[in-house]
Amino acid sequence: MSSATTSINRNSERWERAVPVYGFPVVNGFFLALSALVLIALVLTAYRELAGLGPVSGMNDAYGWGIWKTFNVMVMTALGSGAFAVGIAAWVFRRKKLHALMRMALLTSFFAYACGLLLLGIDAGRPWNFYWIVFPWKWNMHSPLAEVAICMSIYAMIPLAIENIPPVLERLWYFDSRLRPGVEKIEKRLHSVFPYVIAAAYLLPGMHQSSLGALMLLAGERVHPLWQTPWLPLLYLGAACFMSFGCVAGTTMLCCLVWKRGMDMEVLDEAAKITAWLIYGWLGLRFLDIIFRGALGTAFHFDRFAGVFWIEVLSISVGAYLLQKSVKTHDKRSMFLGYVLSSAGGMIYRFSPTTLAFRPNPEALYFPATIEILVSLGFISLGVVGFLVAVKRFAILPAPLHEWHDMASYFRFRRPYIRWTGYFKFGYFGEDDPKMTGGD
Amino acid sequence: MAITRRQLITGIAKAGVPAAVAVTVGTKTAEAEVIPVPSAAVGLLYDATICIGCKACVAACAEANNTAPDTRGDALHQAPTDLNDLTRNVIKLYKSEDGSEFSFAKRQCMQCLDPACAAGCPFQALHKDPESGIVSWTADKCIGCRYCTITCPYHIPRFQWQGYNPRVTKCELCSERLEKGLKPGCTSVCPTGAVIFGPRPVLLMEAKRRIQNSPGRYYQNRVYGETDNGGTQALYLSHVPFEKLGLPELGPESVPAKTLRWQRRLYQYFVLPALLYAGLVQVIRKNLHGHEREALEREKETGLRAQL
Amino acid sequence: MSTGERETIAAHLQKSGVSRRSFLQLCSKIMIAAPVGLSLTSKRTAAQIAKIVGKARRPSVIWLHFQDCTGCTETLLRTTAPDVAHLILDVISLDYHETLMAASGAQAEAALKSAIEENAGKFVLVIEGAIPTRDDGVFMELGGKPAIQVAKEVSSQAAAVIAIGSCASWGGVPSADPNPTGAMGIDSVISGKPIINLPGCPPNPYNLLAVVLEYVTMGRLPEMDEFKRPKFAYERVIHENCPRRAHFDAGRFATAFGDEGHRNGWCLYKLGCKGPVTHASCSTRHFNEIPGVWPIGCGIPCVGCTEKSVVWRMGTFETVPIHLATPPDTYPPIYSTAGGLKVGAAALVGVIAGGVGSAAWVASQRFQSSTEAGVERVSADIAYAEKLKAKPNGRKED
Repeated sequence: MSSATTSINRNSERWERAVPVYGFPVVNGFFLALSALVLIALVLTAYRELAGLGPVSGMNDAYGWGIWKTFNVMVMTALGSGAFAVGIAAWVFRRKKLHALMRMALLTSFFAYACGLLLLGIDAGRPWNFYWIVFPWKWNMHSPLAEVAICMSIYAMIPLAIENIPPVLERLWYFDSRLRPGVEKIEKRLHSVFPYVIAAAYLLPGMHQSSLGALMLLAGERVHPLWQTPWLPLLYLGAACFMSFGCVAGTTMLCCLVWKRGMDMEVLDEAAKITAWLIYGWLGLRFLDIIFRGALGTAFHFDRFAGVFWIEVLSISVGAYLLQKSVKTHDKRSMFLGYVLSSAGGMIYRFSPTTLAFRPNPEALYFPATIEILVSLGFISLGVVGFLVAVKRFAILPAPLHEWHDMASYFRFRRPYIRWTGYFKFGYFGEDDPKMTGGD
Repeated sequence: MAITRRQLITGIAKAGVPAAVAVTVGTKTAEAEVIPVPSAAVGLLYDATICIGCKACVAACAEANNTAPDTRGDALHQAPTDLNDLTRNVIKLYKSEDGSEFSFAKRQCMQCLDPACAAGCPFQALHKDPESGIVSWTADKCIGCRYCTITCPYHIPRFQWQGYNPRVTKCELCSERLEKGLKPGCTSVCPTGAVIFGPRPVLLMEAKRRIQNSPGRYYQNRVYGETDNGGTQALYLSHVPFEKLGLPELGPESVPAKTLRWQRRLYQYFVLPALLYAGLVQVIRKNLHGHEREALEREKETGLRAQL
Repeated sequence: MSTGERETIAAHLQKSGVSRRSFLQLCSKIMIAAPVGLSLTSKRTAAQIAKIVGKARRPSVIWLHFQDCTGCTETLLRTTAPDVAHLILDVISLDYHETLMAASGAQAEAALKSAIEENAGKFVLVIEGAIPTRDDGVFMELGGKPAIQVAKEVSSQAAAVIAIGSCASWGGVPSADPNPTGAMGIDSVISGKPIINLPGCPPNPYNLLAVVLEYVTMGRLPEMDEFKRPKFAYERVIHENCPRRAHFDAGRFATAFGDEGHRNGWCLYKLGCKGPVTHASCSTRHFNEIPGVWPIGCGIPCVGCTEKSVVWRMGTFETVPIHLATPPDTYPPIYSTAGGLKVGAAALVGVIAGGVGSAAWVASQRFQSSTEAGVERVSADIAYAEKLKAKPNGRKED
């Protein structure tokens, strides 16, 4: 394997394969803490369904949207646009190295969207009327919110779900050799529709992430001029792109750190470079837009809007700078910080037009209520819990090739976790393989 | 020579792009963002200079709509401090800092000719009647998303925050009373005639007549709602600036037309998205082939099943 | 207050043959006159008031007339039920009153002198009428002495001074432009004594009685405003309690005497009613104890007789600017408040943000630079790659 030898000299940590995280129990202290948060959130959700939105949230007549819509949907799904942004970079722009991150991107997107959509359903005051979504002639296609709701639902339920099936199928294939013919048939079918599914998986998020921006266009003057612009949809889309890069690459880095995997700096450098340039382009567009609209003066007033603006801009630019620097110096620390800062700044950006920079009325205020915060936190925890379970059960996290073999031998010599029935051997990859001989 | 499927699709895509551009640009003139005026538009004319703030209209509105009076303030009096889920109509007071200038302001739905609430409503729960122009809310279609509370430039629709069956409340010009030949509740009880009901053209004429008869009495000698926000069916006359009464200066273009122009054009007939989709499919298919080839190579090298 | 020889009010009433029922009726009338603002009447029943009043010694009252029309005295006497007037005169001991006493001339002067001497420092001085001050007070003389001198002399011996009527309070009719006599109220003439003004033309007699009794039983004058008028009667303007206020609020005005609005009893504001700027109690306590018998009740716009700046200064039919209803702040503002910051939620957000931020920071610090961690891996990978090379058709499934 000549290519392997030379590549090893250049990159000892090359991510060649997605490998499930093994050797770490699913249920640990962190998991239990998150599960407790999820349970609290579920109980509080039941209360919300009975009592209405007023008692559980800080939403009022002036601020009709609370953090459920503006944070869990607008911000968290932006972080969860990895399937879109990383996918487009990998599949459309042929950044082949990013394919290693694809499964992570897809998984994080899936959970971000799932939890976001759940909370969207909880936030709606009359959710039983959602069935109108099935009748396209009842849609109001002028409405950005219709576009968001419909597009997000279709996207999460069809392309995103389908894209997340391969790791499950792969596990089934290894799980039990009797399932293999069926699995292979499904896989073939999937591959034949993959181009259409993947194309939809890029079109639909492009549409709804930008429509999330278009939502606040209708609010007009009530959004502070530093944010309100006709380019809002494009800026929201751009923010989703670099934020999701941050989320995917940052999460991957964090997972590798926590579960002691090697990090492939080639892939991460590529991602960091792309993110940095995305950010520079985005910042350029944002500032040009502000300057041409003549709103730059308001950035220098001493009020909370200018404060939020500068925190956001500085966060994003320092993040981009750190990312670029980390590529040159191969410094993981600054790379991670760069992702965190730029994503945090992006989150503030997407959050502002609906809450921080939204002034419907000089006398009105909004601050989320405790129940509201707990529910929001609980559903984010749900996503994290799902992610933790999935990443330990399916091959998602990228790793060097030997990791796979380490994993296989780890499972071969371990007892199954649960001995309920012979069929449900939640175990490992390749136990029943007669061809396997012991050791590496 | 037989055309391959790929060539066919590529050809369509190539020809389609200019077509899409033409359609999009063409809609600029074709759609002609002219707002239709309903055939039998009715409305209100409120003259703030005559209003004495007696609030009879607030009580009459609740009665006409069979709504419980809003006594949540002091548990004694029907004294809502703003529009809310029980209040479709409220009298507010503008007082200048030094107390030298004041005016009452009756606030209720403006029944805009191009309502932003209806433009934003995902399933058309808020719908403008094509004849009377009354914007009404249908419980069966509403999902309670509260987008209407955000899009309305006058901040009129209000959501019911308590209970598991919330509704959206706003003035609907007492359409039930209109059907019986009665006038809306508020106009029936106004003691000074500060708010009157009638067909919109008639009200406009009356407003202009008043302006003409008393030059200098009314702010800028104009009636708010004639062209503001694309035109509204609730018209206002005032001696103080309209902004002081809470009526923002929005210009002659309606909020949806102003803000959703590009959104509407880009998604017109879904042509652009469809074309983009076709293009994406092509690109991805090509790249997928390359990706699969590489994966199979790696499969051979490593002996492990390819992960796609 | 009382002297050794003075008898208590209760004893005197009994001696005079006044029935207890009449006395209780009087006490309840005082309660109606001054339901709030008087310690005497607050939280007490008529019986309790009767007990307190009954125990007090009959106060000595000296009543001086100056530039007056005697209307204030008449208002005291012109009560519908004669025995009430008698009651009032039985409750207080009116030791000198030029209109009511039989004496005149030198006898009157002697009566005044002896009344002052007997009750020096203890009597209540009631002043009716304005005091002329121009040209050394030559425009009025009492027994050869200028009125101003009489006022100063007598008040110096008094315990408290009550100025009854607008004339005594601030000058009244005599002080109308051009005020040739320099007529002034008593509090512009004397100082150093507690003075209370009861303006009105005429004032309500029960206000006088309430003030006197409060002083007699409690030893102090009731709470007063900046013009020394008792707040229990003069705190509010007529407009606030006017029975016709609803018509004002609804925009129903009489525009000419005798027109339909006037006949319907609508608001008289447009006819020049000074109710909005006149502090008095007439809108709740009408005249002569007959309900409805007061100017506005009779269809006559209030002239503002208690106010120095209103009556005889403003035109009778001149409308007053309404300062109060720049509408009361019971109307909602154009922009109403909504929402607010909750401390608990803010703390929670702070905790979460802090937690996430510090976790991110700690995680970032754990990252090592790539050169350190990669070293051990290299050898393992190289070994592994060699192993694979040895098995070209290696395991298809693993």
